[in-house]
Amino acid sequence: MSVVTPVVSPVLTPEVMSSRRPTGALLRSALGLRRTQIGFGLVLLIVAIAFIGPLVAPHGANDFVGTPNTPSVPGALFGTDHIGQDVWSRFLHGGLTILALAAAATGLGLTLGVAVGLVAAYSRNVLDDVLMRIMDVILAFPQIMLALVAIATVGPNPATIILAVGLTTMPRVARVTRGAAQPVVERDFVAAAEAIGVPRFRILLSEIFPNVLSPLLVEGSLRLTYAIGVIAALAFLGFTTNPGSADWGLMIQENYIALTVQPWGVVLPVAAIALLTVGTGLVGDGIARAAAGIDRSRGAA
Amino acid sequence: MLDRPGAATGPARTGGIRMFILRRILQGLLVLVLVSIVVFAATQALPGDPARAILGRTATPASLAALREQLHLNRPVLDQYVTWATGLLHGDAGTSLAAQEPVAKLLGDRFINTAFLLLCSGLISIPLSILIGAYAALWRDRPFDVATSLITLVFAALPEFVVGVALVVLFATTVFHFLPAITLIPPGGRPWEQPIALILPTLTLVLAVTPYVVRIMRASMVEVLESDYVEMARLKGLPERLVLRRHALPNALGPTFQVIAINLAYLAGGVIVVEYIFNYAGIGGALRDAVANRDIPVVQALAMSIAGLYVILNLLADIATILVTPRLRTRL
Amino acid sequence: MADEPSSMPGDPKDTTLSRRRLLINTGVVVGGAILAGPLAACGTSSSTTGPSAAASPKRGGSFRLGVTGGGANDIIDGQNIVTKPDQARLVAGFETLLEYDEDYKLQTTGLAESVTQDAPDQWTIRVKQGITFHDGKTLSADDVIYSLRRILTGSEGLFGNAGLMSVDPNNMTKMDDRTVRLKLKQADSTIADQLGQYYNGVVPVGYTRSGPQNGTGPYKVQSFNKGQQSVHVRNANYWRSGQPYFDQVTVIDFPDPSAQVNALLSGQIDAMTDIPFAQITVVKAHGGLAVLEGNGAGWLPLCMAIDMPPFDNNDVRQAFRLIADRNALLQQVLSGHGRVANDLYSPFDPAFDSSLPQRHQDIAQAKALLKKAGRENMVVDLHTTDGAAGMVDSANVFATQAAAAGVTINVHNDPNYYGDQYLKLAFSVDFWGTRNYLPQVANGSLPTAPYNECHWPPKGSNYVSLYQQALAEVDTGKRADIIHQMQKLEYDQGGYIIPFFNNLVDAYNTKVQGFRVSKATLNLDSFGHGFRTIWFA
Repeated sequence: MSVVTPVVSPVLTPEVMSSRRPTGALLRSALGLRRTQIGFGLVLLIVAIAFIGPLVAPHGANDFVGTPNTPSVPGALFGTDHIGQDVWSRFLHGGLTILALAAAATGLGLTLGVAVGLVAAYSRNVLDDVLMRIMDVILAFPQIMLALVAIATVGPNPATIILAVGLTTMPRVARVTRGAAQPVVERDFVAAAEAIGVPRFRILLSEIFPNVLSPLLVEGSLRLTYAIGVIAALAFLGFTTNPGSADWGLMIQENYIALTVQPWGVVLPVAAIALLTVGTGLVGDGIARAAAGIDRSRGAA
Repeated sequence: MLDRPGAATGPARTGGIRMFILRRILQGLLVLVLVSIVVFAATQALPGDPARAILGRTATPASLAALREQLHLNRPVLDQYVTWATGLLHGDAGTSLAAQEPVAKLLGDRFINTAFLLLCSGLISIPLSILIGAYAALWRDRPFDVATSLITLVFAALPEFVVGVALVVLFATTVFHFLPAITLIPPGGRPWEQPIALILPTLTLVLAVTPYVVRIMRASMVEVLESDYVEMARLKGLPERLVLRRHALPNALGPTFQVIAINLAYLAGGVIVVEYIFNYAGIGGALRDAVANRDIPVVQALAMSIAGLYVILNLLADIATILVTPRLRTRL
Repeated sequence: MADEPSSMPGDPKDTTLSRRRLLINTGVVVGGAILAGPLAACGTSSSTTGPSAAASPKRGGSFRLGVTGGGANDIIDGQNIVTKPDQARLVAGFETLLEYDEDYKLQTTGLAESVTQDAPDQWTIRVKQGITFHDGKTLSADDVIYSLRRILTGSEGLFGNAGLMSVDPNNMTKMDDRTVRLKLKQADSTIADQLGQYYNGVVPVGYTRSGPQNGTGPYKVQSFNKGQQSVHVRNANYWRSGQPYFDQVTVIDFPDPSAQVNALLSGQIDAMTDIPFAQITVVKAHGGLAVLEGNGAGWLPLCMAIDMPPFDNNDVRQAFRLIADRNALLQQVLSGHGRVANDLYSPFDPAFDSSLPQRHQDIAQAKALLKKAGRENMVVDLHTTDGAAGMVDSANVFATQAAAAGVTINVHNDPNYYGDQYLKLAFSVDFWGTRNYLPQVANGSLPTAPYNECHWPPKGSNYVSLYQQALAEVDTGKRADIIHQMQKLEYDQGGYIIPFFNNLVDAYNTKVQGFRVSKATLNLDSFGHGFRTIWFA
């Protein structure tokens, strides 16, 4: 997928991120935007296909239904794939794996990144520099390159993919978190909490963390998009978890060679991944715009 | 590194542009040293027998024994790191295990090929995306902006192998036949000797990179256009053209440079897919191959150079940001 | 056997081939002289029999071939290969003493004028007169001795080593300038077979891989960039008059078969190996391109290690063989481009036992056998890799078929399969090319064989002694009897599931003339016999 891997999110300049604001209100305001609604709709659609698809698929994921690579086969809506399996059924079966892998990898990256970013911002000492330089080191390796090396070494199992993608997601999240948390750390209420003896990790969790949630939502949706992209690209390059299982990434790799003969085997999973990406992108965009909007109105008030 | 402009506001972080650049260079060097340690440690930890991986299916016990002997794989690790690192400093990246040739010889042409492809893509996509992004921000919510927003959204969502394959089908093999489907660079030849064969890979990369930079440029330009100093400039009665060129554009370019730097560095990794589609003899193919062959010196050299590229691009972006952004320059 | 390769329905040519083969086979050992043919015509005989014989060959042009695979581990060596492009590079520059023809019959069209088995343990090789290496040196007995000795040097790690084990490197005598006598360590009737294998090329005295690439072949190496391409230029002093026709041949590595097809479609290469089956219709529909489908006998076995659980129980092995729906595998994995097989290899061998009943899928029987073995609802890992087209698909399709018998097969596609795990796995997929029975056994089915995936034969079996007897037997009929016994053992207890023999399907631009359909081991009719029997129209 797209090689571009942003580090800062649009509209997330320190000015935007510096004010304390309720996340619920932000989400409500984001949902009022049409792009957010469309985005959510797309994401829901794809997630629904992934979850409901296996229940309604006309054939099993590995059933042999006709001559391989044929677009028109009776009983196969979108024809057959490279070994004569039903493309439509495999498409319906194949969403869960990539969604689960991408969600797990993004979840891991977010968790680690938030932890590192918060600690770095709050430490206000040499630990900040050390942590961020370590993040720099990880950042210096393109996500797909690191994943490629890891997978070719350990073998393409789900844990490796989640770890490789999650770890390379971490530094980007850490930077956004740190950037958002830094101004918060300087605020009076943090100093006040410290003064009355609230434990530092409590301050981190209850005072600072809520303040960085909204930029994190944007960043999280963006990261999810890229995680899906990297996992699909790995599949395209031939590194997938379970050969034979129905999986959108794998479908692309298996049927890419027949693209000009029987396009459906590639078009369906690519369309699903693209719609999902557009969807999460729109949601992130909506949240970012809502955040900016809230800020502006506050500034005016 | 990217957060530097923001962080440069701290009281301890003043000292002039020269100090800033010096500090950034030192930090870059530190990161490179750390990277070299990580690269070395990680590649040392690669499980598996390089001799077997290289000979693959045709390996026999005798040929394995012979190759292992030849590779000297049994020296102490620290010893190997020092040898390797000093070698790198002298421009010697060792000998490829698989090819039995110096890494520099194996990768030299490929580096030039990939660098040229990236250069072409960068030279086209950077001005293009800055222009489109700036205009989208200027004409905010007008048709151009809406159209740009939609198109960039779609292209950012399409995997580049889909874009690449679609371009091949469209221009080379199925619909039209006027462009070569793959890029064949004869050994010793240079990519610029056959510009026609470069069109499709370059276009694929441009389409992969431009959408994101456009979006960043637009966002950052919108931000700047609404800022106090642009407002102030307008209130002072400066002509709009001057306001844009003197105040808005330079300040909006800052964050965009950061993103461009990142994107160029990431192209170096993502170019793997494009080189695969077009059979382009660059470092992407070499990396895939080297990983499969457990060709540790080649993996190390490639990882180091990609990381090095990242560090250098970031450095340049930071310096460019400082130089181009008036409000940051005055803070230093 | 219904689907014996040479009696494929709808292909009349094949039946005639098999009859001709029989005739030739009965006459092989007359007077102990195995292969001594009239040679006067050999310079031209093989080049003018193509389907496009109407057009006479023309000189000139630069031929570009795309080969699937390759990488930084590419080599050029007159006697070894690592990757697939290496095969094309080898046959462009080096030649063997004997050659297989398009029916997979040994012929003296190669460098040897005769190869004779004088006694069970003695062979005499006589090379043709006036053949020169690229550097101008004349081919002599010394070169033959050096070539064989190099193959026999274990530390060289050459592919042909296992097959020539019975040759005694210290007992090769130069009889005269062109004649060599080999005294064997043990009787061996397969020496001629081995001398026809493309990787047992003849190299000059003193040859090393890193030295100059000096062979007798039609093209000399001009440049070689590992993982990218090699350029070969016409050998002006080539011994077959008139040949070769191209001025230059370029062999290009392609990691991605799609890029390869695209290059062919857009005219950037003139021929390609291993066209993906899905693309056959695309190429056929494209004006000016053609598909060449060789009917060789490559095979992609599923290999059960007979000494590792659960396959140490023959009932489990038999059950797995009964699980396989061979025709479905053929249709799904190869889109039908091959023939159904019967768990036995080497169908072109005159001694191939085609009387053994064809195995069919029998899920009920398989279940019964598994129950008997106490392995109902078993779970097993099957390891595969993208080593050759179809290896991953075979594993997946077989796993699906096994589910019907209550067997769960977890397929693992490991990019480093041949690096770390090869030959150590209980259940795996591998690939092989065309080879006659005894040479194949030497490579894959003996305790001493370098690629014995199944760890065959079982303890206490008389298979090895049968192999020794077969090697020592000079009478073809008697040898065939022994071979039949060996095949019966493998058929009843072996670890291979061989669902099909795959065709080599390649494609080329029709401006290239002279490609023929053949049973050759190598793609594109052995790359147009080292690029010497093909030309531009």
